Amino acid sequence: MAIECLVLGAGQEVGKSCVVVSINGKRIMFDCGMHMGYDDHRRYPDFSLISTSGDFDSALDCVIITHFHLDHVGALPYFTEVCGYNGPVYMTYPTKALAPLMLEDYRKVMVDRRGEEEQFTADHISACIKKVIAVDLKQTVQVDKDLQIRAYYAGHVLGAAMFYAKVGDSAMVYTGDYNMTPDRHLGAAQIDRLQLDLLITESTYATTIRDSKYAREREFLKVVHKCVAAGGKVLIPTFALGRAQELCILLDDYWERMNLKVPIYFSAGLTIQANMYYKMLIGWTSQKVKETYTTHNAFDFKNVCNFDRSLIDAPGPCVLFATPGMISGGFSLEVFKHWAPSEMNLVTLPGYCVAGTIGHKLMSGKPTKINLDKDTQIDVRCQIHQLSFSPHTDAKGIMDLVKFLSPKHVILVHGEKPKMVSLKERIQSELGIQCYVPANCDTVCIPSTVFVKAHASEMFFQSCLSPNFRFLNESSEDTSDSILERTNGKSRLQVTDERVAEGILVMEKSKKARVVHQEELLLMLGEKQHEVQVAYCCPVHVDNLDEARRDHISADDVLGLSNKCSWLQQLFTELTTDFPGRNIQNLGEHLQVESFHVSLCWKDDCPYRIIDSPRKKLAAVFFCCTWSVADGKLAWQIISTMEKCRLTVQNLNQNTD
Amino acid sequence: MEQRVWSSCEQSLDTDKPLSLQALASMRSLIVNPHTSNSTISSILKTLTRSVQQTADSLTRHHTLKLFTDLASYRTHLSPLIFHSLHSNSLVSTDSSLLAAESLAALSSISKCNPTLPIELDDRLFVSLCFGASVSARLWLLRNAEKFGIRLNVLFTVFLGFTKDPYPYVRKEALDGLVGLCKFGVFEDRSVIEGCYYRGVELLKDAEDCVRCAAVRVVKEWGQMLIASSQEEDKRDWSNTVFIQLCSMVRDMCVGVRIEIFNALGNIQMVSEDILLQTLSKKVLSIMKKKRSHSLHTTENFELLASSAAGAFIHGLEDEFCEVQKSACCSLRKLITLSSEFADQALSLLMDMLNANSMVIRLEALETLHHMAISECLNVQEIHMHMFLGSLIDNNDLIRSAARKIFKLVKLPSLDLFRLSVDGLLESLEIYPQDEAGVFSVLFYMGQNHGNFTACIIKEVSQEIEPVSNGDLGLDSARVAAFLVLSISAPLSCDQNGQSIPPRLFSYAVTLLGRITSALNDIVDQNTLLAYLSRCSRSYISSGMEVEGEEFSLPVADVDVATTTVINDSNPVAMPLMQIGNENSEIHSMISCESGNVGTSIIECQLEEHGQIRKSVNLILAQVKDLWLLVQSRCISEALKILRACKEELAIFTPALPESVGALAFTSQYLHVIKLLVKIWGHIVWKVQSCEIGELEILFGKLERRLREMRCRFIGFSKEEESLILELTLLACILRLSEVEICCYLATLKKLSTTISHLEFLNKEGSIELSNFVMEVKKTLHEIATPIGCVSCSPFVFKKLINHYSAKQFSLSRVTHLYAALSVHGNDFENPLPFISGLPVAIPLEITLHNVSRDARLWVRMAMSEELVQFFFLDLKILGGCDEVTKFTHATPFYRTPKAGSFTLRVCVVMECLFEDAHSVKSFVGPKRSLVYLCPEKEVYLYMI
Repeated sequence: MAIECLVLGAGQEVGKSCVVVSINGKRIMFDCGMHMGYDDHRRYPDFSLISTSGDFDSALDCVIITHFHLDHVGALPYFTEVCGYNGPVYMTYPTKALAPLMLEDYRKVMVDRRGEEEQFTADHISACIKKVIAVDLKQTVQVDKDLQIRAYYAGHVLGAAMFYAKVGDSAMVYTGDYNMTPDRHLGAAQIDRLQLDLLITESTYATTIRDSKYAREREFLKVVHKCVAAGGKVLIPTFALGRAQELCILLDDYWERMNLKVPIYFSAGLTIQANMYYKMLIGWTSQKVKETYTTHNAFDFKNVCNFDRSLIDAPGPCVLFATPGMISGGFSLEVFKHWAPSEMNLVTLPGYCVAGTIGHKLMSGKPTKINLDKDTQIDVRCQIHQLSFSPHTDAKGIMDLVKFLSPKHVILVHGEKPKMVSLKERIQSELGIQCYVPANCDTVCIPSTVFVKAHASEMFFQSCLSPNFRFLNESSEDTSDSILERTNGKSRLQVTDERVAEGILVMEKSKKARVVHQEELLLMLGEKQHEVQVAYCCPVHVDNLDEARRDHISADDVLGLSNKCSWLQQLFTELTTDFPGRNIQNLGEHLQVESFHVSLCWKDDCPYRIIDSPRKKLAAVFFCCTWSVADGKLAWQIISTMEKCRLTVQNLNQNTD
Repeated sequence: MEQRVWSSCEQSLDTDKPLSLQALASMRSLIVNPHTSNSTISSILKTLTRSVQQTADSLTRHHTLKLFTDLASYRTHLSPLIFHSLHSNSLVSTDSSLLAAESLAALSSISKCNPTLPIELDDRLFVSLCFGASVSARLWLLRNAEKFGIRLNVLFTVFLGFTKDPYPYVRKEALDGLVGLCKFGVFEDRSVIEGCYYRGVELLKDAEDCVRCAAVRVVKEWGQMLIASSQEEDKRDWSNTVFIQLCSMVRDMCVGVRIEIFNALGNIQMVSEDILLQTLSKKVLSIMKKKRSHSLHTTENFELLASSAAGAFIHGLEDEFCEVQKSACCSLRKLITLSSEFADQALSLLMDMLNANSMVIRLEALETLHHMAISECLNVQEIHMHMFLGSLIDNNDLIRSAARKIFKLVKLPSLDLFRLSVDGLLESLEIYPQDEAGVFSVLFYMGQNHGNFTACIIKEVSQEIEPVSNGDLGLDSARVAAFLVLSISAPLSCDQNGQSIPPRLFSYAVTLLGRITSALNDIVDQNTLLAYLSRCSRSYISSGMEVEGEEFSLPVADVDVATTTVINDSNPVAMPLMQIGNENSEIHSMISCESGNVGTSIIECQLEEHGQIRKSVNLILAQVKDLWLLVQSRCISEALKILRACKEELAIFTPALPESVGALAFTSQYLHVIKLLVKIWGHIVWKVQSCEIGELEILFGKLERRLREMRCRFIGFSKEEESLILELTLLACILRLSEVEICCYLATLKKLSTTISHLEFLNKEGSIELSNFVMEVKKTLHEIATPIGCVSCSPFVFKKLINHYSAKQFSLSRVTHLYAALSVHGNDFENPLPFISGLPVAIPLEITLHNVSRDARLWVRMAMSEELVQFFFLDLKILGGCDEVTKFTHATPFYRTPKAGSFTLRVCVVMECLFEDAHSVKSFVGPKRSLVYLCPEKEVYLYMI
């Protein structure tokens, strides 16, 4: 079985996140986003790839939405209401609450302002949201008999979640967007150490490594404080949800601590409404906000009041949060027109601005004049500060998560291709995990884990229950390797507990798998135990053998016999000195060390004898060695000693005399 | 009732069947009830013992064992019996490890209540029990292994082996067991330590949170042991290895693991600088990339390890959980001393943390900064100032005071930063006036630490401090006050630039004495400060100011406003010689002495008080000595003002110990004498004021009386002190003799010669040197004496002598003051005593004598008018006054009652001056010598019946 991963969106790009995963026969769509950069068919994922017939209900088992950003949820009403998907849709409670707000806002902008043909109506949105099944964090939802899903906290925005899905024995996690460092108002992503086959993660900042958030906060507060202290006005264009609350908590807290009396304004509308949701959904915020909300709800901003248009030209310093974020139009543009010409004022810009917006123009070099249209030109003398509060994790965060989860495979989505490739290289080289960066409409297949059920014998079961650990102390062997061993970070003292290894998987005639204890196996099969023995006939040099042979050719046998015992004895002495820790036994006819058995060999055609040169043969006597496989290492050590050592013909002189 | 329960219970007992739950419950109720008779209890015990041996049902056995422990705890006398029966029983056997564990649990709970009953468990049995099939029994055994006195190596083997157990909680207990073994010291066998350490490292990757937590502890403890058992050069490598290994876990998703990790990191005492630096950067440093892993004892790729150590502390400090942040902060604090480079880089991070969202963490960061300041590795840079100063104006007073604590110690590298800091402090003062004391204290410390900068700042703001046109100082403004504090601190920095502080600023500062003292009460007490300020603001010719006492304990917190204002009057601008002496450093060392512990017991308090009073008194005496310079330079009125101030200052003290009483009384007397001397000096030497006729005479009279009192009413002078007093007497005589219209020339001359001879006597005893002045007087006296009887000596000769006089410093050791208290019980203006005209009246005097010896000749002086004075001798030998304090009531007769409806008697206790000649007073009945008053006169009212 394999896990098939079809990337419909956010493959090597940012926007319209949508991945369809087939896992052990179940098909899940993760996210259903839209691309904000396109107006044509590229705006939505190509749903036809899921099912050519258009019968999405049977093609998909469920849709899972990670959070309320439009590039993750934007296509959902279209998919459910226009394309006709009627199956279950899962998202967290806050996402269910906030997604319709975002969708409706977007629809209005599209239809009312730009006059585009609407892709879905307000009714579509509400009908779509009705199909949504809300889930809580760490709540295991049984979608059907085989499919389990579970949401984990992801940070990023209120209600953002990573989703774990498990079918049978295959499991995967789809992260959506997430943040590995905590915010003021949101916590860091939090997940258990799971056994995963696949991790699909975002990679927006695949190569960026951010420094401490404290430094960024300090910078921001410093410029804002400096500006208002000098009597200037600060314009903070921002999206209504997310960063606005983050910055506002930051400012409100700072104002409180520094006793600043300069007013902070929120432009009315979406932000006010959004704040209300934040106040209610305290359970999804950061630890600090959760801990303190009983005494003070962090979203009850003490120093914040509503903005009135008449205040735009009011004298005195102030701070204003205005939508939209990139000064692409609307209220923030209106305020910008008024405030930009004064060098006392300050405009803060979000980290990323779409090309074509004023924000983008301001960020790319410092223009002195901006042409809004043919007739309008804005003098820009105000200070510009670039915010770097991103709710996305950086490269280190991605690496940390991947390392923590240690899945078998990783797929990167939601990023720019060159950066993703570089991150992929890192994951593969540093973590040794297979990684993929599929483009849109690509399919990645990875093998999945399949477990086979097997019965266990009573004896095996019992042996599993009882501890059976052993210590391996390698110190006595291999002294030459010990330095290497140590620097390799392995102890010479190892513990093993091989309760399971002692089991043997057998397939019975009925084709059922069964695990039995190794001692049961022979009984079961009615066979005897075999042991593999290794043999080698080892030549040992005898110093004056040649001489002896020359002088007593006829007496070859006599010589042999007369020396037989003493050679073995000599070898015994040699070995005892070379292997002081070993129990070497001299049993008369042969020597025994563990399973290693050595005796003199007089057969000229010994099958275990390898003779490379006849000269060597003349100068050597042969010892036949046998040992069982387990003692191989020891055996070869002994043999090498034997090959090196030299014996003598002791009785030679006496005989000649 | 008891019988009924037991019999019903007994009935239900069937020898074959296990005990029913019902029966067990009844037995328990009997056991718990303290009134159950012993016989019943013993039958219960028998039943239970039988039951536990026979029954095979695990539940019943479990309950039975529970009953045993109950029984043992309610009937403690039975506990040995139960213990032994359980112990000897075959319960603790390998047959069922669960049963054995339960029995052991019962045994151990009994043994816990009764420590005389130790559980003895065979090593072999313990091991085999651990190897039993029951997991819960295994858990319990591992958790309690240390109770059974198992041999260490057996324990070690068992623990290490069970780290391989498939059950996570068994693994956890095994790991915890290994951690527990560490307390028995370093293991000999290196391979054992390594084996254990690497097993811990392996389990850092365990799937279970609790196992990872325990594994961190193992890596920490056994890593330490590994480091300890390594050879010198290997130590560093191992230390680095353990550190990096721990760092690799900082991104664990489990909060508990992260807390443990940071706790462990702080314990490592030796880490390479580059590794430390890496923990402050999320990017892998180039230096780490180059480094090869051959020196590290780990299998993992070095770069990977370096990257896992990357930013470890950043992650810890920006963790979502306060506990982790705190733990990270604490370990950072410990590591910061390892490398200055590391400290510098960590500083930026810590400064940024002053903006953390939790107050606890901000405080923790400040605490760490403070720690750095103490270890002198706090190198504040420009970039830090915004946050650093921000904490000074934080809304929270804890934060502010923590920040001020750091500012006290911080060494700023440049004037700009110093100026910024001072501005920050002033701003803080403006917003939070309640912090005045704290801010002043910081300014003082900062001034001391940065003499140069302070001088610059003061130069810049001196215009602001100066009195504006109408002559008022802007001292109400906290800002000016703050600058004054800053300016007075500078000379203390031993910095020569301190001298560029205009001396008048010190005198301005005197007006703020109270405010400044309360701010600096941890380093200096009011008197020292006053002495210091007046010293710096006044003229300095000689360098004789010696302030005694090195420790400044129990500083005076409450400030006498009067003192401040009085001193305010002395306009130091008028003082002629303004110069700052060279002994600043001396004062510096004195002032920067830390205050000692405040004594706890009353006696200690009193002793401290005495010590303090003595110090103050000595300071005052020192001032008086300096004051002669003023007198000699014609500043009589200034001198008098200072004297008045000294007197006020003296009035603050209410002494509790007799020693202090003496010292204070003497000082007060001394001040009087000096005041009179100064006045007379002014008249005679400088002719400052037109002197009314007789005024001088009155002054002389007063002076002589005071001097007499000084000699009579104080005992316990050292020879030196005595000679000083005699010198004063000499001076008084000389002054009198130098006056042209002098009366009692001869008497004075005579007195002069007696005094001189007294001084000579003292000199002969060898304890004192005669001063120049005395020698001169002696010489002159000798010259006069030759043509005896001839009054040829002109006052001019004596006048010349005056200039030879130079003041010396009294350093009071221990003087006792003789004084008395007098009262007439129940007598006042409305309740007069009855008398019959012409008949004597007895006046019931309650007399309290202090320190008066038996030899003293005491009189009660009763005066109806100046002429009508009657003396009554108080014979102490009869009255029995020999203690320090003698109290008695004496009915003193007054004989010459007038013919009047009522009259008033002024009564007081007087003493004869034994050193004066007997004939000086020509009174027929009564004292023969001149008198000193031991108490103020008391009015006694009488009326005729």
